[in-house]
Amino acid sequence: MFDPEKFITSAIDQIRERIKERAVIACSGGVDSTVAAVLMSRAIGEQLLTVYVDNGLMRKGENSEVDAMLSELKVNHKIVDASEEFFEALKGVIDPEQKRKIIGEKFIRVFEREARQFGARYLVQGTIAPDWIESGGGLRDVIKSHHNVGGLPASMDLDLVEPLRDLYKDEVRKVSRTLGIRFSERQPFPGPALAIRVLGEVTPEAVSLVREANAIVEEELVRAAEAGEMALPWQYFAVLLPVKSVGVQGDARAYGRTIVVRAVESVDGMTANYVKIPHDVLERISNRISNALKDKVNRVLYDVTNKPPATIEWE
Amino acid sequence: MRVLIVDNGGQWTHREWRVVRDLGAEAVIVPNTIPVEAIDADGIVLSGGSPRAGVNREAMGLNGRYLDELSIPILGICAGHQFMAIHMGGSAGSSAVPEFGKARIYVDEPDVLFEGVPLSFDAWLSHNDEILELPEAFVKLAHSDNCAVQAMHHKSRPIYGVQFHPEVEHTEHGYTIFTNFLELCKN
Repeated sequence: MFDPEKFITSAIDQIRERIKERAVIACSGGVDSTVAAVLMSRAIGEQLLTVYVDNGLMRKGENSEVDAMLSELKVNHKIVDASEEFFEALKGVIDPEQKRKIIGEKFIRVFEREARQFGARYLVQGTIAPDWIESGGGLRDVIKSHHNVGGLPASMDLDLVEPLRDLYKDEVRKVSRTLGIRFSERQPFPGPALAIRVLGEVTPEAVSLVREANAIVEEELVRAAEAGEMALPWQYFAVLLPVKSVGVQGDARAYGRTIVVRAVESVDGMTANYVKIPHDVLERISNRISNALKDKVNRVLYDVTNKPPATIEWE
Repeated sequence: MRVLIVDNGGQWTHREWRVVRDLGAEAVIVPNTIPVEAIDADGIVLSGGSPRAGVNREAMGLNGRYLDELSIPILGICAGHQFMAIHMGGSAGSSAVPEFGKARIYVDEPDVLFEGVPLSFDAWLSHNDEILELPEAFVKLAHSDNCAVQAMHHKSRPIYGVQFHPEVEHTEHGYTIFTNFLELCKN
């Protein structure tokens, strides 16, 4: 079985062996990149700068949460606001692969700038196995271009370091707990963030709708789990569809968009089953979303598809 | 013990690597073009493939030579299983009803591969093709509602094929099936 302690010791040795100059690490605040940041930081200390990019696509309250978390973990870090650049680059784009590639490239350009300023030669990423598996290459089909693999631009100035490349999420969590990180159970949140939970064009308005709906899904499921109505799923979120339908809100005809609620159980993200959320909980989520998003959203659906045939995210 | 995972381009090739490693054997992923002479192992797994690989000879590299020339235990999974049937005299092609996600597997024949596994269990699948004719040298070991050959065993050699994916977390008893295969590799 996977031995997290052995992994940590050998990873730190290998990092010290390989990295003799400064490095920046791309950290989204998720478990993978945070574990990579803590490992790197233990190995090379102040030679490492952890960079968190606010791309305008993060969840409600996430920028300040991650800032506080990285401070608590005592990694040398910096928050970079690049939200305007990201929205600008995503204007008019609706194809999911194109979105992922644009986001991958934007991230790299931001990291290159930060690396130049810090005098770094290496870019560290928290890439894990499903990222490169699903990004395809050789015989393997492209399922989706993960921003940190298939989304990387053809040319970049930095040498890539990926200490978690052979691990799956459950193994990263074991490493995380062994490192004493109390954020080890944060649910997965892929790098392209809310951009791939807005089907269709990614506008600031659409992102704010899905952000609000997502916060409601998270709050209600956490509350239901705390009340013993269900177990907290592995991953749970909202997706905004470009589909409009007719409704009636306050005696007036409504013609609004659609929110999909998704909640899945998985161990490693490579296979997943939808969660049988109790109907009372689904109803609370549905009511809150349509009340909070007013005339913008008048229909809420629940996704009952496993992986395969679906993937966990919609894009 | 050392087991090679021959990579035919499947989504779950690395999972096979992980399960073999988790069970305490040395696991190495190799391309399906590695020469037979370079295979130094106690057993090999022929992984699932890129889209439609099982019925596309070119995409399957040297899998045929491994089947012809090696005497160590071989486990073919999904495309590896389909290719095995075609190569050894049976046939494979489009499934009337493809299976994605969960399906019930029914074990028809007792076999060391299914030791400690109940007669029916839920497995995870992802296939558009399947075995249409079982090669003469094989015995059918299991089926599902929509697929006649979910598992097979060569009558005189330690060669096994499974259509479902014992390597993924969602398949019940997957680790037991791999443990049974590794036991065969030990001998």
